[in-house]
Amino acid sequence: MKKRSKKIGLIQKTSSIFIIVSLLLMSLSSIALYFYVRNILEAEIEEELYSTTARIESILEAGKNPYSLPPVVEVGTSKELLPDILKDTLIYDPSQDEIELFRELSSFKRINNINYKISVRDLVVESENILIAIIISYLLIIIVVFVVLYYFNKVGNSYLWKPFFNTLEQIKQFSLTAKEPIVLSSSNIREFSELNTQVKILTDKVRADYNNLKQFTEDVSHELQTPLAIMQVKIESVINDAPLSNQQYDQLTSIQKDIKRVTQMNKGLTLLTKIENNQFINPKQVSLTSIVEENIANFKEIFQQDIQFVNENELLVTMDYHLAEILCNNLISNAIKHHIGSGDIVIEISNKSLSVSNKGEKPILHVDQIFNRFYKENESVKSTGLGLAIAKKICDMYNFKLTYSFDKGSHIFLVQFS
Amino acid sequence: MKILIAEDEFSLQQSIAIYLEKEGNVCEVASDFNEASYKISLYDYDIVILDLNLLTGSGIDILKQLKKKQGANTAVIIISANNSLDDKLEGLDLGADDYLTKPFHLAELNSRVKAILRRQMFGGGAIVVFNEIKIDTDGHVVTVGEKEIVLTKKEYDLLLFFVTNKNRVLSKEIIAEHLWGDNSDLIDNFDFIYVHVNNLRKKLTKEGAKYIKTAYGSGYKFIED
Repeated sequence: MKKRSKKIGLIQKTSSIFIIVSLLLMSLSSIALYFYVRNILEAEIEEELYSTTARIESILEAGKNPYSLPPVVEVGTSKELLPDILKDTLIYDPSQDEIELFRELSSFKRINNINYKISVRDLVVESENILIAIIISYLLIIIVVFVVLYYFNKVGNSYLWKPFFNTLEQIKQFSLTAKEPIVLSSSNIREFSELNTQVKILTDKVRADYNNLKQFTEDVSHELQTPLAIMQVKIESVINDAPLSNQQYDQLTSIQKDIKRVTQMNKGLTLLTKIENNQFINPKQVSLTSIVEENIANFKEIFQQDIQFVNENELLVTMDYHLAEILCNNLISNAIKHHIGSGDIVIEISNKSLSVSNKGEKPILHVDQIFNRFYKENESVKSTGLGLAIAKKICDMYNFKLTYSFDKGSHIFLVQFS
Repeated sequence: MKILIAEDEFSLQQSIAIYLEKEGNVCEVASDFNEASYKISLYDYDIVILDLNLLTGSGIDILKQLKKKQGANTAVIIISANNSLDDKLEGLDLGADDYLTKPFHLAELNSRVKAILRRQMFGGGAIVVFNEIKIDTDGHVVTVGEKEIVLTKKEYDLLLFFVTNKNRVLSKEIIAEHLWGDNSDLIDNFDFIYVHVNNLRKKLTKEGAKYIKTAYGSGYKFIED
């Protein structure tokens, strides 16, 4: 299965990219600055060491006594002349009373026929302090700049993308059944303006197609009813006008039955379209308990076996009254149609659910198709194949959960009202 | 009774007219909106049977026109291909007396027509008489000769349906639909219609009224010998 990646907002995304890039640039520039300043400071120290050495040399050349100021300046004699040595060294500093890191330049000079070793040192600590001070002030400045930039970037992005978010909100609220077409605020940014135009074209087309389809369903249903009415009426006339044989009569009444079936199917399809079109928008508090009771009273006359009704407490649901009647009627009549054997049909209402169960021999073969229109498990049962599809549509419309299960020889349909 | 049938489908219009004329009514027909509008402005009818979708206009406008007419006491039965609840309610709100969805049985239409006529002429409490049988449609009391017979609700409906459609063959399908409406398609065998009819027949026969006859093996006919 494809893993669903976590979605983040456009503004957050651009902000996070900004943060990552800024942090990267900040740390890189800090490191670069650190090395650059350190190099400069080192060069400065070296220059100072060399110049101190030169001063001492000139003092020595003038024949004055060697000048010494340990640990900063030490002048001694050496047997041989070596090249200059420049190194870091740890030396005890009596003035600080601790061991400090010094930069040391040892040069060997022959002055007035004496080989001198001149060691000049400078404290590294001082230069490091300067380095740290520079870096910290740099970081402070850059953080302030970063915060300000981040804020302006965010505000600017939000402003820039505002038309896009407006359009998105409009699309979210777009409803096929709404009488008004979608209205999008105009934008002077070309891409957003194009987006709006395309969205408008697309939604207008979808609305037009949808209305055509709706009109078509209504027309077909309407156009079918009249020929059916003519057939029905003519059959009745034939039955009453001429003497018929019993066989002819049976055939005519059988046609009457088929007309009735087509009519029911037609009604069912029209109802499905209407539910799909959200044409039932009259929700109110409905007592399913009393609707079920009415239904049972009606069905008792045409269904000989017992219908058990277990009602824990009155179930009130907010929905269209007509649809509530259809939902109960379809579930109960489905149970009656498919009831096999001698047990009772059981209707149970509990706190937030309605279940209807009838006896059967075996579970439904294709459970996934049971709520599809025209799905029939068993051809021998006369039905339009729409009852459960309508029940499911009604439940979907109100976010109720309609499920089927088979338990201990019973088909159970359960509606959970959340 | 004078009835106008406003229906643009010719064969349907004719079948309705023939059926209702056999019941002793005078029927006129209108095949489109203008004809219907013209006829109701000229003549007074007891009942207008009105198709909502007339070729050149809406039956609703005919209904409005009828209700505006001074002094007229015309009842309206709407017949419509549209079975939506809203249309039904709108029609009834505008003053229609009954609403039938296509397709319908002529026997059903006839029983609705008769019920309206009873309401119109006697304010509902008419007594339907067939020979020695008297049906008080107000108190739902049935007497045969001088003797009152006790019927269940369904038996009473059945008897009234038989009497209003006397001399007609009524199939079990028509009876089932009259008694149980849309739920009648749940009935997979009509044995218990037989039970209802048989109970009624027994109660009538006991008092000497033997009018329920079997037709073509499985239908019924209410007829005088």
